[in-house]
Amino acid sequence: MSATTAPAPTRSRVGQPTVTFPKLVRSEWIKLWTLRSTWWVVAITVVAQAGFTWMGTYFTLQNIDPAEIGLSPDQVGPNFLQAGIMIGQLVISVLAVLAITGEYSTGSIRSTFAAAPRRIGAVLAKGVVVLVVAFITGALATLLSWALITPSLGSEYGIDLSDEIHRRVLIAMPLYLMGVALFAFAIGALLRVSAAALATVFGVFLVVETLFGAFPNIRWMAEVSPFLPSSAGSRVLSTSTESIDALRAASDVTVLTPWQGYGVLIAWGVVLLGIALVLLRKRDA
Amino acid sequence: MIEAHGLTKRYGAKTAVNGISFTVQPGKVTGFLGPNGAGKSTTMRMIMGLDSPSAGTVTVNGKPYAQLRSPLTEVGALLEAKAVHQGRSATNHLRALGATHGIGKKRVAEVIEMTGLGQVAGKRVGGFSLGMGQRLGIAAAMLGDPRTLILDEPVNGLDPEGVLWVRNLVKHLAGEGRTVFLSSHLMSEMALTADHILVIGRGSIIADAPVADIVAGASGQSVRVRSPQATRLVELLAGPEVTVTSLEAGLIEVTGTSAQAVGELAAQNALVLHELTPVQASLESAYMSLTADAVEYHSTTGEQPQNREETRR
Repeated sequence: MSATTAPAPTRSRVGQPTVTFPKLVRSEWIKLWTLRSTWWVVAITVVAQAGFTWMGTYFTLQNIDPAEIGLSPDQVGPNFLQAGIMIGQLVISVLAVLAITGEYSTGSIRSTFAAAPRRIGAVLAKGVVVLVVAFITGALATLLSWALITPSLGSEYGIDLSDEIHRRVLIAMPLYLMGVALFAFAIGALLRVSAAALATVFGVFLVVETLFGAFPNIRWMAEVSPFLPSSAGSRVLSTSTESIDALRAASDVTVLTPWQGYGVLIAWGVVLLGIALVLLRKRDA
Repeated sequence: MIEAHGLTKRYGAKTAVNGISFTVQPGKVTGFLGPNGAGKSTTMRMIMGLDSPSAGTVTVNGKPYAQLRSPLTEVGALLEAKAVHQGRSATNHLRALGATHGIGKKRVAEVIEMTGLGQVAGKRVGGFSLGMGQRLGIAAAMLGDPRTLILDEPVNGLDPEGVLWVRNLVKHLAGEGRTVFLSSHLMSEMALTADHILVIGRGSIIADAPVADIVAGASGQSVRVRSPQATRLVELLAGPEVTVTSLEAGLIEVTGTSAQAVGELAAQNALVLHELTPVQASLESAYMSLTADAVEYHSTTGEQPQNREETRR
C-alpha cells in the first residue's frame, strides 16, 4: 500500500500458496477431528466392538465347549476375536458416510469446493483420512478385544502369533473395517444425502446380504451372494483350516480365497467411488 | 476482475439466469441488485464454479474459477453465511479452510480479530446468531487476502454497527485496488456502499451503470404539493406531460413539471399552498421502475409488479 499511481493490493499477507494434495489431506484431517462426533464414533466403535467380543467370548466359553459348535482348538481364538466386528462395521460405516454427507447437509461443501475447485482432490483427501481413521479405529478395537478375551481364552485357545491364520485375522480385522469404510464413503459420495446413504449401506449389509445368503436353492442369488461387499470382504476373516481346494470341492457356488474376497470388497468401494468422482465434476454443489 | 459472457443457467424448463454479460472492475465496489429469485445467488455460484453454466462463460482474474491455482488468494467469497459445519468452532473452520492453502494459525487469528469474532471463535458455529455467521463468512472470505471479493448479501442479519463496518470494509478493500462484488436486495444500502450497480431482474441484466447515473435516469423528479384547493390546482396543471397522483385529501404528487412552475401557477391563480416539495427519485424508486419495466417487457399478461413472483412460475 505504498504511494503507487495505480492502486494494487498488497500480496504480502499470505503470498500465493497453491493447493496440493498433502495440504488437502491436512485440511480434511483437521475437519474430521474438530467434530465431536468423530471422537464419539471412534470411542463407541472401539468400546462396543471390544465389549461385544468380550461378552460373546466369556459367556460362550463358560457354557459350551467350542468343539460343539464345530470349532477346532486353533480356530477358537481368531473366531471369538471377531465376535463383535459387525458392531464395529456398522458404527464405522456411519462415520464414513457422515464424513461426506455431513458436508452437503450443512452446506460446508461449498466452502470446501471454493478452496479446492477441482473437487476430486478434496474428496479423495477426505477418503484417505476416513480410511486411515477406520484402520486405526479397527486396530484399537482389535487390540482391546484381544486384551479383554485373553483371560477367557486361556492358554488352550489363546491367539498365537506363530499361526499364519491367527496373524492374518489380526491384521485383517482393521483392514476389513477400512474396506467397509471405503464402501460406505463411496455410497455417501454418490448419494450425498445422509439418510439415503445410511439406509443404503445398512440395507446392503443387513438386509440384502442376509437375503441373498438365505436362499441357497435360488441359484442366481446363491451365486451372487459371495460377491456382495460384506460377504466377500469377510472372507479375509475366515478361520477355516481347510484348503481352498477342499472348500471349493464341497461348495456348488464360488468360494473366494480370503484375499480375493477382500479384493472384491475393495473393488466395490473403488468402482462406486470412481462413479461418484465422475459425477462430482458434473453436479452442482 | 470478473467477466461474464452469455452466462446462462437453466433448471429444467426454468431459466434462472438468461445469457447475461457483464464485467466487474477492480478498484470499485460493484453492487449486484435484484429482487429475491432474480438470479443473483445463482450467478455468484457460477462465478465460484459451484454451479456449472448451461451456456456461456465466466472468468475471475482471467481464468475460470476451477483453473485458479491458488483460489483463496484470488477470490474470497461469502456465499451463504452458514456454509460451515454446525458442529465445528469458528477457529477450526478457518484453520481447516486455510490448511488447503497452507495458510496458518497466524492469519486465522488476524481475520478473527478483523471481524470481531474473538469472543466466540472457540464456540461451535451451530449456536451463532445470523450476524455472527455473517462475520465468520466474511472472515473466511478474507482468509486468503484475496484480490477479488464476492459477497452475497453481506449485511443480512448484521446490526447497524455491523452494517457500517461492512460498508467501510468493502470501500477500503476496493480502495486498495481489489475487485469487490456484493449482492443485495436493499437498494438503500447499495446507494451508500456501491460505486457501480448491476441490476438483475428475471435472470437478465436490466441496468449496468454508476450509481449516480441510475438515480438520474430514473423516472425523473416529482413535486409534492399540499393545498386546500388541490382540486382546482389539478385542473390548472392538466397537460400532456403532467401526471398527478392524489396521495390523500389535499395532498398531490405531480410529475412532468417543476416546483417553480407549480408555485408560479398557484400564485397566478391565487391558490393557497401549504407545502411545495421537490422529491428526488431515490435509488429505490429508480430500481422499482427498472424492474417494473423488465416485468412489462417479459410479461404477456401485464400483471402488476407485485405479482412478479407468481407470474415467473
